[in-house]
Amino acid sequence: MTKSVKHFFLILIALVSCFLPTMTVSAEDGSALQRIQDEGVLTIGTSADFPPFEFYAVVDGERRAVGMDIFIAEKIADDLGVELEIQDIGFDSLLPALEARNVDMVIAGMTPTPERRKSVDFSEIYFKTFQNIMVKAEDQDVYSSIESLNGMRIGVQASSLQEQLASQIDNPELMTLTDLNDLLLALKTNRLDAVIMQGPNAEAHAANDEDLHTFVGGFEMDDDDQGSAIAFRKNEDSLVEAVNESLNEIEEQGLIEDYLAQAGEYMAVSEVNEDGEEVEDGFVSSYWEYFWDGTMLTLFISAVSVFIGMILGALLAFKRLSKNTFVRVVATAYVEFVRGTPMMIQVMFIYFASGIFFDLPALAAGIIAVSLNSGAYICEIVRSGLGSVNKGQEEAARSLGMSKKQSMRHIIFPQALKNIWPALGNEFITIIKESSIVSVIGVGELIFQTRVVRSISFQGILPLFVSMLIYFVLTFSLTKLLNYYEGKMSHD
Amino acid sequence: MIKVNHLKKSFGKNEVLSDINEEIQKGEVVVVIGPSGSGKSTFLRCLNMLEKPSDGEIVFEGTSLTGLKEQELNQLRQKMGMVFQQFNLFPHKTALENVTIAPIKVKGVPEWEAQQDGTRILEQVGLADKVDAYPSSLSGGQQQRVAIARALAMNPDVMLFDEPTSALDPEMVGEVLKVMKDLANSGMTMVVVTHEMGFAKEVADRVIFMDGGYVVEQGVPEDIFTHPQHERTQDFLAKVL
Repeated sequence: MTKSVKHFFLILIALVSCFLPTMTVSAEDGSALQRIQDEGVLTIGTSADFPPFEFYAVVDGERRAVGMDIFIAEKIADDLGVELEIQDIGFDSLLPALEARNVDMVIAGMTPTPERRKSVDFSEIYFKTFQNIMVKAEDQDVYSSIESLNGMRIGVQASSLQEQLASQIDNPELMTLTDLNDLLLALKTNRLDAVIMQGPNAEAHAANDEDLHTFVGGFEMDDDDQGSAIAFRKNEDSLVEAVNESLNEIEEQGLIEDYLAQAGEYMAVSEVNEDGEEVEDGFVSSYWEYFWDGTMLTLFISAVSVFIGMILGALLAFKRLSKNTFVRVVATAYVEFVRGTPMMIQVMFIYFASGIFFDLPALAAGIIAVSLNSGAYICEIVRSGLGSVNKGQEEAARSLGMSKKQSMRHIIFPQALKNIWPALGNEFITIIKESSIVSVIGVGELIFQTRVVRSISFQGILPLFVSMLIYFVLTFSLTKLLNYYEGKMSHD
Repeated sequence: MIKVNHLKKSFGKNEVLSDINEEIQKGEVVVVIGPSGSGKSTFLRCLNMLEKPSDGEIVFEGTSLTGLKEQELNQLRQKMGMVFQQFNLFPHKTALENVTIAPIKVKGVPEWEAQQDGTRILEQVGLADKVDAYPSSLSGGQQQRVAIARALAMNPDVMLFDEPTSALDPEMVGEVLKVMKDLANSGMTMVVVTHEMGFAKEVADRVIFMDGGYVVEQGVPEDIFTHPQHERTQDFLAKVL
């Protein structure tokens, strides 16, 4: 097999994987439980911006997900005799992640609605809950019932039970967002009149924010709609039964109360010291670790992706100049396809589609997606760079007896690289900003951490501002650095 | 050394060379003159296959170049040095690197040896003090002399010059022509496309006058310049002399 054929196949594989249909894996028997016990790991999916069910707190100096659901999951893992692994994903991506086998089960204060039951199975309800309405404290006299909200601007979380409940309000002007914190921010900045939220969650927020007021909504609900349950893939009865056993035990021993109380302790403050006393600190000193971790991961993802992207891009650029029409067409199709689709969908597609076949960690999926995307753009940069080198250069090289490859490698490419250096730098800066998209699959980069800080600090705007500042410092200093090296590289 | 049989070259419908037959002997200095658009540069570029002939044959040292595989062609090109009107030096390399890169990468000469040779050749063209200079800091005349040195470093059997002084300021033409004269005196086989009639008169063994894709007339310089036979040759010489 010649090199070019090998390259061609690599590109082909990358392409084909982009077109694979979402295959449904055939029905499973009782082996689901067996498989988890064999692997020794139970992977749960959750959306940790939802106190007191799941949120982040610093425990013994270490940052981790806590909350009622997490404690329940720990108990289940214990009962099964396996380790617990937590994947933090946006709420509306949880069920896709479950079906794509990225996680074994979803526990996220999720209500087992009839719509959801069509695609997944649920455990027994482990927590009966109620639905609240959140308004601004100053409006508490104006809005005090469902009826008073007729025709008003109502916020709900995307693909949530609350979205359906909103139909019980007459003529609502609905705003549907993924992140609850964004809804609350919209409420506080007068873009919404009320937000429908799960009861305990609403009370947690109201208790921590004097600008907010909440009351029980009194929505009409089916029995099913009044509680939270754990979601599983269809036909994994063995696992559901085992989990139900644990849930029964939790109910018999009244553990839910304990879990809620424990979560409440974590919720009241972001950090508890050794004596159990609150540590009162400024915003930055309390949360700098989140931002630091996020920044490091953002830089890591960007650097690795641009590096892989450069190799892929150079390869694609040469393929696009190939004499072989087929190779050329495939490379061109790849570039056009990637440039013609949003990176967000590429990231989600690679993460969820890969989950059907093997367990690809979210970080790896994110880096692959960003690299594949960047490769297409860098291909075009490299191509323009090669085109910018005077034709006489190749003629001179060839007249000295150099082969096509030698003249490309020693003469054309080094000059092209110098010409495209600024454009490559721009691509790096673009990737630093755009890699934030991998937060949708739960990769803990800067945007993701910003979301986390917003949920645990009960602050809507300040975390956004800090993260904006960090992005600017990153991109601005990188620009300066690139300019410096650009100056050093020019001989002419 | 080089035999050209029925060479034709067209760009699209435009026929630039029509049936050229020539033979260049070892040690001979051949100067090709003619009005612009007469096909003389294309003729030269066909000799080392930078332009692929549309028809006909080029035979170099007994091997037909037309129909050779890339790899074999690369081998033979090493023996045919070429100097361009626009110099085409590699801007990202110093004068010495320009001269040594082909011996090192193509012939596999050890770096130290290539550098020794390269320095000697640069001295020979009068640029001993410019070995470490980048092309952008050299004058046109100096750049063209580096380009000649670069071609010479491959130890070619023949040197092809494509209007080597046309892009130069007048005061720099002399230094390049001097290097070329020295080269001719040392016995190098040369094919030179040029408008420098003085050089043709003084150095050429044979002058070829081309017009409209044909060789109109050729002979020793005295004959061509003092008793041109063809009307077109007379017209051309009347304008340039």
